[in-house]
Amino acid sequence: MAEVHLKNLTKRWGDFIGVDDQSLHIADQEFLVLLGPSGCGKTTTMRMIAGLEDPTGGEIWIGDRMVNDDLPKNRDVAMVFQNYGLYPHMTIFDNIAYPLRVRGVAKAEIGPRVEKAAAQVELTEFLHRKPKALSGGQRQRVALARAIVRTPKVFLMDEPLSNLDAKLRVTMRAELKHLSRALKITTVYVTHDQIEAMTLADRVAVMRHGVIQQLGTPDEIYNDPANLFVAGFIGSPAMNLINGSVQDGMFVTTGGTRLVKVKAADRARAILGVRADDLTVHEAGQGDIDVTIYAFENTGESTLLTVQWGKQRVIARGDRHLRKDQDDVVGIRLNSDHLYLFDPETEQRIDV
Amino acid sequence: MTGKQRQRLLGTVQVSLILAAIFVMLVPIAWIFLAAFKTHVDVYQLKLFFTPTLENFGTVFDDPYRLGEKLFNSTIVALVTVVIAIPIATLAAYSFSRFSLRGETLMLVIILATQFVPAVVIILPFFVMFRDIGLLDTRLGLILVNLAIVMPFAIWMIKGFIDGIPMDTEEAAMVDGSSRLQVIRNIVLPMAAPGLLTSGIFCFIIAWNEFLFALILTNKDAVTLPIGLALFKGEEGDLWNLLSAAGIIIMAPMFVLALMIRKYFVQGMTMGAVR
Repeated sequence: MAEVHLKNLTKRWGDFIGVDDQSLHIADQEFLVLLGPSGCGKTTTMRMIAGLEDPTGGEIWIGDRMVNDDLPKNRDVAMVFQNYGLYPHMTIFDNIAYPLRVRGVAKAEIGPRVEKAAAQVELTEFLHRKPKALSGGQRQRVALARAIVRTPKVFLMDEPLSNLDAKLRVTMRAELKHLSRALKITTVYVTHDQIEAMTLADRVAVMRHGVIQQLGTPDEIYNDPANLFVAGFIGSPAMNLINGSVQDGMFVTTGGTRLVKVKAADRARAILGVRADDLTVHEAGQGDIDVTIYAFENTGESTLLTVQWGKQRVIARGDRHLRKDQDDVVGIRLNSDHLYLFDPETEQRIDV
Repeated sequence: MTGKQRQRLLGTVQVSLILAAIFVMLVPIAWIFLAAFKTHVDVYQLKLFFTPTLENFGTVFDDPYRLGEKLFNSTIVALVTVVIAIPIATLAAYSFSRFSLRGETLMLVIILATQFVPAVVIILPFFVMFRDIGLLDTRLGLILVNLAIVMPFAIWMIKGFIDGIPMDTEEAAMVDGSSRLQVIRNIVLPMAAPGLLTSGIFCFIIAWNEFLFALILTNKDAVTLPIGLALFKGEEGDLWNLLSAAGIIIMAPMFVLALMIRKYFVQGMTMGAVR
């Protein structure tokens, strides 16, 4: 078990910057998620920690050791790959035993340890099979078992759930969370799925263009986004972003509607962010503003109303029993406790 | 014509064409097969019913033909060629596949380009060179020549197989604690095994059938089977029955090999670079 320190880590390929001078401290036993769209540098960062990619600049510390020049095998990390990276010519037992064998663990010890790891991910009955004979979810478990059969300093997981179907992903996510709490090993987890990030992480680092946009707990990331990118990336449906200005303490949409009171100085251009859950749906005339429904969707646990708001479309979440139809008019009220203002130029958050 | 009728007609045409192709390919082999068991007198008659004899197979191993020596030479040359070529080609192919080397593309093209040089063009320099260093008419000389011939094939083929192994698998092994050599031994070699086997057989066939270099560079001690065939010219013309018997001896190992590896061969052909 160990902390991980990244100091001014940089990765460049020619002119392309993969990771741009980033520093990050991951505490012992912390579950840190690197979150971002594809190409944001999250996987590159992880691969540099694993030693599969050489940094262009900066330092990587695992525990009290600078590992920049260490081979992957000497870094004492375990990694779960997106495509599992199983050894197709070996049985499941041999797959899980491989890290032990190659590190020279005594033969007598290997059997029990493999069986224990297999039991933890409920694979016991498949040990004699080859990976080919297993389903995607089971292969994922093999990859996990192969990681937990040793006690490495750090777990690295590269989008481990993204190749599973939606239902299995939810189950495996819970299992992963349970397992990580039980094992108490520092974990770096890469994903582009914000739900995974929110549910699994102690802290999330949201990345874009090789730069960490915000580092914080899932709560902070969701409720206190630092900039426009984080606000738009986290949450499903995505946060509504409404163009307008601030005049006399009111946010005014580009269409000229005086919408809501904000505690900010006047400015010619601003973007108002509001989540679908913070827009409440009422009968026409009873909200802050009347709008026409562009699309009505019933997801079962709630309803989603895409409404035409001037020139923009905005999504509001309604009660699960609400029934409306396209072109109906409803009133929308904004929950003024959860509004966010952003500067369109710098994309940074403005205090509301 | 209805769609079904058309389909049936197309099917008939297809089957006829396949049968015709099979006929064209198999008739010479069938002819050789029959001739090998005929007496010298029967050979020139196209009769299917005759008294078969094994005499030809005895004769070819006796003086003056002594096909046994040629068989031995061919076996040694082809085997040693494969045994040397495959490990070296594997390491070369691995490097080409996994590392970004300086001038990689150029090197690969040059390796392939050696195949485009007609053998006739370089055979004379080879002859002079081998004469000067005393490799003329030696098995070692032939092995060297065959290595030069099969190596590009082997490197390109094996590279195709290694390219097909997911990088993830190797990286997983490295993180799991393997050195690069352990990765090659524990992961890459077992996974590429069908490909290596296919490439090995391929090289063996090429070396086994190699004719031109063996013809020019050997004359007595290191003569191989294909050259041995040229011995069967008598004063009475070509000794077709002996020629056929020798032909079967040359083909037989190929048949056996093909049977043994056909599963891997197809797998190898479809997964590798030579699809």
